[in-house]
Amino acid sequence: MLEDKSNIKAWLYLAPALILLTIFIFYPIINALFLVILSDYNYLQGTWQGFTLTDNFVYVFRNQNFIQALTNTMLITFVSVPVSVTLSLFVSVWLNSVAKSKGFFQTIFFLPYVTNAIAIGMAFAFLFNRNFGLINTILGWVGLNPVNWVGLGATWGNAMFSLLVYVVWGSLAFKIMVFLSGLQNIDKQYYDAARVDSTKKGRIFRRITVPLLSPMIFYITITSFIGAFKAYTEVIGMFGERLGPPGNDKALITVVALVYDALDRSGVPGALSEAAATAIVLFAITLIFTLINTRISKNRVHYAGGAK
Amino acid sequence: MAAQVQNLYGNEKQLRRQFILRQTYVFTMLIIFSIIVIIPFYWMILTAFKTEAQVFTSPPILWLTELNFSNFGAAMNAAPFLRYMGNTVVVSFFSTIGTVITTIFAAFAFARLNFTGRDAIFMLLISTMMIPGEIFVITNFLTVVEFGWIKDQTYTTALLAMTIPFMTSIFYIFFLRQSFRQIPNELYYAAKVDGTSDFKYLRRVMIPIAMPTIITITILNAMGTWNAYIWPRLVTQRQEFGLVSNGLRNAFNDLAGVVAYNEQMAAALLVTFPLLVVFLLLKKYIIRGVSRSGIKG
Amino acid sequence: MEIKIQNLTKVFTNKKMTETVAVDHLDVTIPSGKLIGLLGPSGCGKSTTLYMISGLLKPTDGKIFFGDEDVTNVPPEDRGIGLVFQNYALYPHMTVQQNILFPLENLKVPRPEAMERAQKIADLVGIGELMNRKPVQLSGGQQQRVAIARALVKEPRVLLLDEPLSNLDARLRLQTREEIRRIQRETGITTIFVTHDQEEAMSISDEIILMDFGVMKQKGAPQEVYDNPTNLFSARFLGTPPINIFNGEISAGKIKLGKSNLGTTDVKSQNVVIGIRPEGFKVDPKGPLKVEVEFVETIGRDTTLLIIDPTDPTKRFRGIIDADYKVVAGDTIQLSVKPHKMFIFDPETGEKL
Ligand SMILES: Nc1ncnc2c1ncn2[C@@H]1O[C@H](COP(=O)(O)OP(=O)(O)OP(=O)(O)O)[C@@H](O)[C@H]1O
Ligand SMILES: [Mg+2]
Repeated sequence: MLEDKSNIKAWLYLAPALILLTIFIFYPIINALFLVILSDYNYLQGTWQGFTLTDNFVYVFRNQNFIQALTNTMLITFVSVPVSVTLSLFVSVWLNSVAKSKGFFQTIFFLPYVTNAIAIGMAFAFLFNRNFGLINTILGWVGLNPVNWVGLGATWGNAMFSLLVYVVWGSLAFKIMVFLSGLQNIDKQYYDAARVDSTKKGRIFRRITVPLLSPMIFYITITSFIGAFKAYTEVIGMFGERLGPPGNDKALITVVALVYDALDRSGVPGALSEAAATAIVLFAITLIFTLINTRISKNRVHYAGGAK
Repeated sequence: MAAQVQNLYGNEKQLRRQFILRQTYVFTMLIIFSIIVIIPFYWMILTAFKTEAQVFTSPPILWLTELNFSNFGAAMNAAPFLRYMGNTVVVSFFSTIGTVITTIFAAFAFARLNFTGRDAIFMLLISTMMIPGEIFVITNFLTVVEFGWIKDQTYTTALLAMTIPFMTSIFYIFFLRQSFRQIPNELYYAAKVDGTSDFKYLRRVMIPIAMPTIITITILNAMGTWNAYIWPRLVTQRQEFGLVSNGLRNAFNDLAGVVAYNEQMAAALLVTFPLLVVFLLLKKYIIRGVSRSGIKG
Repeated sequence: MEIKIQNLTKVFTNKKMTETVAVDHLDVTIPSGKLIGLLGPSGCGKSTTLYMISGLLKPTDGKIFFGDEDVTNVPPEDRGIGLVFQNYALYPHMTVQQNILFPLENLKVPRPEAMERAQKIADLVGIGELMNRKPVQLSGGQQQRVAIARALVKEPRVLLLDEPLSNLDARLRLQTREEIRRIQRETGITTIFVTHDQEEAMSISDEIILMDFGVMKQKGAPQEVYDNPTNLFSARFLGTPPINIFNGEISAGKIKLGKSNLGTTDVKSQNVVIGIRPEGFKVDPKGPLKVEVEFVETIGRDTTLLIIDPTDPTKRFRGIIDADYKVVAGDTIQLSVKPHKMFIFDPETGEKL
């Protein structure tokens, strides 16, 4: 009957997913924790030189690219997330208030979501080309000199700026769609009430829209942070495996790139442990910022009403 | 009171003007923003149809009167893109079928069946969603090596290595469970009273009702494969086993920094085009699915 | 099919191990071929009782018999029941016809026969023309009929309806309940009809079972329960406007409300609760109750008076009198009480004395 537990049946239904998850998610988590305490692990021979709690993390921090990778990752995260969340909030509010052609704009704004990150990264690289790219042409129209964004010997700052433009561009679509559906779920009566009180548009946005949307803004911010900390394919798309403009290799290296760097050296003793340590550091950073985010948002998120 | 009413009527024209002004403003902003969104696509398409001479003209040509199709042929010569696309279709077909099946069964168990430890296991699954994939990748690489899918790689083992680890997804289980739970319990009771088995109920009632979500999962998963770069790069031992993203990046990874941009963009367009077609055909499901996937709870 | 319920008990235990007794030692026999209204306030355990009869829920204790057969441990599909839910529970992606055919599929009824039975039952409930529509294309009343058709098509021994009318508007509700009554008469299936609307239960049931906090309070023909409530709960639950309740006493065989003497009884002297139906008052210049009328409302042949309680001026009670008497607000009048409309209850147990 209804409350009877159907254990065997349930496990049969769960089995395919659980077996796969055990092999490819749960076991790897435990194994990563194991790898990280091995000293000089050589997976080809299956040997190691004792255990250590700190050595592998020390390798990570001593890696000559670590500081650069961390700086880049942080910069990408802390610029692209606030910019894209704010921008997409505005765009979705506009989109929600437009009387006609909503579907048309929605389709256009969604396009960046359905592209191949490598392909569109290449297009961005060429947009930022010094002599033949569109960006410098537009700058020329307003009387500015061409900038070497991504070409041979481009500075870290210029390359980073171009990358950020691409990252923000690519991350807007998802947020706009989510915010739009959130806005469409807000009861119209709040706006009618505000209109009756002749509230100004800007005030409606700050005092009604944002608070009612706040659980969603919070959720999107958190997931965007988690996503942005993992930035890597965007760099590959724009700059290739060189991870920087020609002549300035690895200028845009990220923390995830370090993991794959170490993984590429998997035959070298200790490399896998270093990869695991790097991934764990990344997880720790993500966790810390998620917790901080949750803390900050606690007092500002209004859970009553609003987005369902 | 009377004064107020009059005031309202007097304002009607003004209100109407305000409305038009505001709509114009919003429209303008949206159009500007649309242009920003479109530019990279336009640039890609434009360049793909330029001749080499046109590409290396400064200032660049912004409008073509004559289309040059030769870049596509050249791109195909630079790398076997049809082959990469074929690989991608095969990988995405199998991993999507696998994902959809395992997801439906697991979501059904979590949403409908009553068993010891259900909530605990579900919480365990959810809590792993925040862990960066890189932590899994390390061991998964060792695992597929262990399974013998890397050494002396054949096309079959390459496919296994690229599909099996992705044949389920916690996020999709979570997503589908939400849809399943929206189906009223009474439907299940009614079916039980009529002697319907759990499997038949799943097949005849739950799957049809949750079909939009299942279609969304199918599309999102297939699109994900089209975008996959890191894992296939890691586990394919021969270039011809790679997926589109790998093919694209490898073919135009010119270390000198000088690239035949027109060919590169032609290749990029080849890779992007199928995705855009799929999107425009299945827009409804994709937009709805993505919008919903952002809603927690 | 007679349904016998013995000592039926259901205790829900939630995660924090707190227990809710939803149905408490229920003992009742439901006669064959009758329509029984299971009536009680929200949360009193009606649905739980129904689900146990249907086999969807397992009793914590007690037994259920269909005729002589003990069905307590028989799974729902083998009990031969039809179940109709408050929200109809139609399969939204199937047409009316597919919905009605679904139960027969499980019974492996051959297709042509199944189609014929489906059509017959659809005609019986009056939706024969709607077979190819989806549930969303139907009105609430039509959906309701589809649900009933789906429950009836497998020719159940027992039909169980869980608040089947509560999603309908007032007019449709009246119409549909007549319809259910008609269908039940025509098929002669033993039917249990759950509702919390006393008027609904009274109007269509052969018998009603009154429940409160999982306990059966009274059972009987509607009018009988109304005329002879055995406890305060039954008295209060039936009737609109509801019965008037006063704190009174018995002294030396006299029923006393304040100083007024309302009648005689052989109950021994004690404090009691007196219940008087609104229609139990009569304007009578020699009546024992002298009261002030606060508000008068005349509808048709009846006049409803809102009267200030003589024993407690902060309280009001209602009386319904013949419209022939001309009473206006502010009047002071004398009332007498019809003895068969007055009931005396024990203030502690609520039982009738
Ligand atoms: N699955 C359950 N777990 C725990 N308690 C339950 C469960 N189902 C019902 N209850 C409790 O049992 C009691 C009776 O519930 P039931 O649904 O039978 O009431 P009802 O008479 O049908 O009410 P309503 O008229 O509101 O439908 C209620 O207190 C309810 O909270
Ligand atoms: Mg109920």
